[in-house]
Amino acid sequence: MGEAKGSSDATVTTRDACSRRASLKKTILVLIVTIFAQATGNVFLSMKMKEVGSDGWLIFLARAVETPTFWFGTALLIVSFIFFAAALSWADLSFVVPAVSAEVVVNVVFANYFLDEVVSLTRWTGVLFISIGVILVLRSERQRAHRESKEILTRVDR
Amino acid sequence: MKTAILIAMMVLADSAGDVFLTRGMKQVGEISILNPKAFLTVGARVISNKSFLSGVFFMTVTFVSFLIVISWADLSLVFPAKSLVYVLSTLGAKFFLEETVTIQRWTGIVLVCLGVTLTSLP
Repeated sequence: MGEAKGSSDATVTTRDACSRRASLKKTILVLIVTIFAQATGNVFLSMKMKEVGSDGWLIFLARAVETPTFWFGTALLIVSFIFFAAALSWADLSFVVPAVSAEVVVNVVFANYFLDEVVSLTRWTGVLFISIGVILVLRSERQRAHRESKEILTRVDR
Repeated sequence: MKTAILIAMMVLADSAGDVFLTRGMKQVGEISILNPKAFLTVGARVISNKSFLSGVFFMTVTFVSFLIVISWADLSLVFPAKSLVYVLSTLGAKFFLEETVTIQRWTGIVLVCLGVTLTSLP
């Protein structure tokens, strides 16, 4: 069932303090997988969609499902969802949701690089805003992990 | 008017999905994603969790209302509206999941929201 949250004062150890910081690293790692699986999945699906054209949804779908590119893209999106849900099993929603918005940045960069889409200045400005936002959210989470591990350590000392 | 209602439904369902999904995952407990055997046994618990299923239901509502609304409305209206989810999900996290949201985190979230709006414009 994972570590017991809010363990009583008698059982807190320095290991709990370290685990606060280790769990942030784990969260970031899992979210990186979420972000890249999602962005790569989108590139594959988008490539496929452009290839089969747009003669209507059903025909598109019927043609798309026959190709491995479609299934590979879909599989990556499923992997992305599993990692997203897993991260939510221990991390805060108010951290995970904005952190995952970094996928928009990766999507724009991938679209520009792999799909040769032209990215406007407005979009690059948006990318800059998101990046600063994600850095602030990351910092807030790191400070929290730091503060919590410190609190645990002072309790252990006593 | 129809567009506004559908967009509101899409955004609200998206945030509700996030909140329910988080509640379900927290009820199931921390998942060890690197241990395949433990991962499979926990998978069964996850998909039988009511909050998780409600989350998936709301996500489906989001997706369907998104598909319906883009069949007539402009994408440059729908996508910027979607970025409101960042703020709404955070409010949900604060009031329903009792998470602490610091000013620094709020600032980051508002910047992300603005940034997502900008990237969705042409």
